[in-house]
This record gives sequence, structure tokens and C-alpha cells, in this order.
Amino acid sequence: MATVWRSQRAFARFFVGKTARILNNASDLGAKLTTASISVSSKQNYSNYAHSPFVKNIKEQYEFEIVKNPPEWAYVERLMPFETIPNVTPKAAYPSGWIPPKEEARNLPYFIARTRNHQLPIYLDLSYRGMRKISMIKKIDGDIWLLNDLIKEHLKKTQNRYVETRVHELGRFIEVKGDFVTTLCNWAYAQGF
Amino acid sequence: MSSNLLNVFKRLNITAATQIRLCSSVSNVVPDNREISVTKKEWKFPPQYTKPREVWIENLDTIEEKKLGLFELHPLVYATVPRIDLIHRNVEWQKKYRWVSWAHTKTRAEVRGGGRKPWPQKGLGRARHGSIRSPLWRGGGIVHGPRSGKTHFFMLPFDMRIHGLTSTLSAKFAQDDLHVVKDLELPTEEPAYIIDLIESRNWGPSVLLVDDTDYAPRNITVATDNLPHVNIMPVYGLNVYSMLKHDTLILTHSAAQKIEERLLIHLHSSITEQQMKFKLSQV
Repeated sequence: MATVWRSQRAFARFFVGKTARILNNASDLGAKLTTASISVSSKQNYSNYAHSPFVKNIKEQYEFEIVKNPPEWAYVERLMPFETIPNVTPKAAYPSGWIPPKEEARNLPYFIARTRNHQLPIYLDLSYRGMRKISMIKKIDGDIWLLNDLIKEHLKKTQNRYVETRVHELGRFIEVKGDFVTTLCNWAYAQGF
Repeated sequence: MSSNLLNVFKRLNITAATQIRLCSSVSNVVPDNREISVTKKEWKFPPQYTKPREVWIENLDTIEEKKLGLFELHPLVYATVPRIDLIHRNVEWQKKYRWVSWAHTKTRAEVRGGGRKPWPQKGLGRARHGSIRSPLWRGGGIVHGPRSGKTHFFMLPFDMRIHGLTSTLSAKFAQDDLHVVKDLELPTEEPAYIIDLIESRNWGPSVLLVDDTDYAPRNITVATDNLPHVNIMPVYGLNVYSMLKHDTLILTHSAAQKIEERLLIHLHSSITEQQMKFKLSQV
């Protein structure tokens, strides 16, 4: 603010005597002043930074008071973004086709956790210009080798051929050679994950 | 490397087994006049499959260990698979983001002299040269040498930082190097007391104490002031490098809860904003 005023000093020096009024109304800059009030006899050198006066008592445009915890705050709160991704409200059926995980899946010796967005962590990895297709099952807990055997068995039954898989125990994921994302997702839904 | 991994897993299994036994004998072990009762915790994100880990709450006000209660830790934070690769990347990141290399060499323009052609182009039977500071010359300038003030700053992806913390906490916990204490109140400000305490409890030698607040009680600050291997840190300063640098990690009850809460929020929230490209103006 002060810098703006200082830069406008070159004009303001013609309006000496009305300084206070100019300082309080930032926008009109002496537009309301009549020619009678203009006096050129100024002794102060306003081009000097150190001698230019500070801006004081700026009037606020609107009157307001600060309130803690007003009742209207609830309306502001519902506009704010979620801190975490909310849990799903249980319903009989979901119009989007999303399938909820089942409770009994937690009693199995293996487990596939949902992602933070409540989706199955089964992905297709395309590489070499789409020539190499690898289906990836991530976030596996429990007995990953048993899960691997079951997946292999299931894929052999459905695809009528041997399907290669690779288990990464530390990274807790299984890679399946080929695009079997839909098959694997259906299998996982059937298991209750 | 692989033998280390195997050890970690063995230890994980052992701790898991003991946890189960502890669960069943809770009511027998803990005395009735305990200050902190064993309560099933109500998490916003309850553990799905892995059971919560239980840990003793210990005390610091006597040299011999007293168990003040049991406390549940969320498996997503304290019992994940310790991804050693992520721990390593975090440590590398922490070393690099603050490293400014001051190695410096002079180019042919900066080496003194060399303005004059050393000998005529033709007629002497010698190789043609235009400057004695050419990089071909001994004492000449260096081509593509290190230039000082080279920063190595980068930001590790947000998820890797979060999983680095959970991996390190889990590894520390699995190796019995993570202890939870009630608070950091000591009866005396003698350094000998804290040395004895660490010795008798088989901690350390280096110990990192993490508290919820950023001001510690006077006694512990005075006692550890001249012990370079015993350090106090607030929760917001917790990092992978310091956890690895110290042998034992001591969390206060409130600190353990706060770490768990913050990491769980990050594990269950949308992190597109944090994953965006790092800008200097965001600091």
C-alpha cells in the first residue's frame, strides 16, 4: 500500500492540504477535489523515500466482526474436500455395478485388500508396445503361495491351458502372464474380496 | 542380503506368535492397579486381515522395567512387510536433497594466461596449438569438470516416503527395537541414570526418543545433553534416516498414536496433490 502511495507522490504533491482524505480513499485519488484546494507551494520533497509519510488509519470497506464456531460453519464444512476417502455406505445394490467385499473373506488363509478407492487391486500391465501383457494382483496378505496355486488352477480350468505366474513374496503381488484381468476380478469377487 | 531378509521374516513370525500368546494371557499378566488399561482401540480404518500388534507400555521413572499396560498398534503402520528397497531409497533421498557439491574445476577460459599463441602455426614442424591452457596441455583447463554449487535436490514420490516410514517402523518393531513408554519423565537429571537404564533394558547403545510435543521434560533434556548417542525428536521430525541411525527407537504413548493416525490418514486419502510436481513456491 505504502509503495503505491509513494509512487503517486508526484501527483499528490499538488493536493497538499487534502492529504488525509486522499490517503483514506485509495481509489479516487483526489478526483473530488476542486481546483480551489490545489496549492503548489510544497516544501516537502516527496520523491525522497525517507521523508514520505506513512499511510495511516485505512478505513475498511466493510464492517465485520470475527466469530468463532458460528452455526453456519456446518454449511462451509460440507463444501470442504474430504480429508480421507470416505467409507462406502452399505446398500442392497449399487447402481454403478460396484461389488462390496464380503465379511467371510477375512477367514480365508489368504486375502486381497481393496485399494483406498475401494477397488480390487488387479491391473493389466502393457509393455513392449502392447505385445507383453501381464495381469498383476497386488496387496495380497496371508498365504501368497496358496493363492498362487488356486489362481493357476482356476485359470487352467477356464482357459484350457497352462498359465504362467510369478510370485513376489516381499512385494506381496502375483504376476500372471497374459490378459486375465476380468477372469481374475470375477474370481476375486466370487471369493469375497 | 537374502539371509538378512530371511532373518527379518523369521523374526516377524516369532513376534506374531508371541503376540497371540500375549493376547490370551492379558488378564493374568497385567496387575489390577495398572494406570493404562488394555482397551480395544476404535480405529477409523480398522485392520482388515492382519491382527493388530500389541506392545507393552513401559516406564522411564525406574531403572528396572515396569509394564504399565498393553497397547495396540495398527498393522498397516507397524506390521507391514519391511520393503528394504523403499527404506534404501528414502535414505538416499535424505542424503541427497541436502547435498550441495562444492567440487570445482576451471575451464580453459578461467585458467590464468593462455592468450598468446605459443608458436607459429606453420614452419616449426611442431603440432599446432593456439593456447597453453587448452585442455590438451598439462596445466590447461578441464573439460566438463565439476562446477561448484551443484545441488542434488529432488523429491521422492509421496507414497514412497509414507511407505518408507511404515517399512522402517515395522522393521524396528519386528526386530524388538521399538519400545513404547508412557512419557519421558525421569526422576533425576543425572546422565548416569539414563545410561544405566539403557544398559539394563538391553537398549541401544544409540537411542532415539520420540515425543508428541517439541519440548521435552527438563530432566531428560539435561540428562541426554552430553550423550551424543541419545537423542530426542518430536513426532514431526521422525524420519527413516534417524530411525536407522539409532539402534533403538523409543516412542511415547502419545507419539505412537499420533504417528499411526497421521500415516493412516495418508494411506487412506487421495494424494494427487502431494504427488504433484514439486515447486519451490509451495514451501
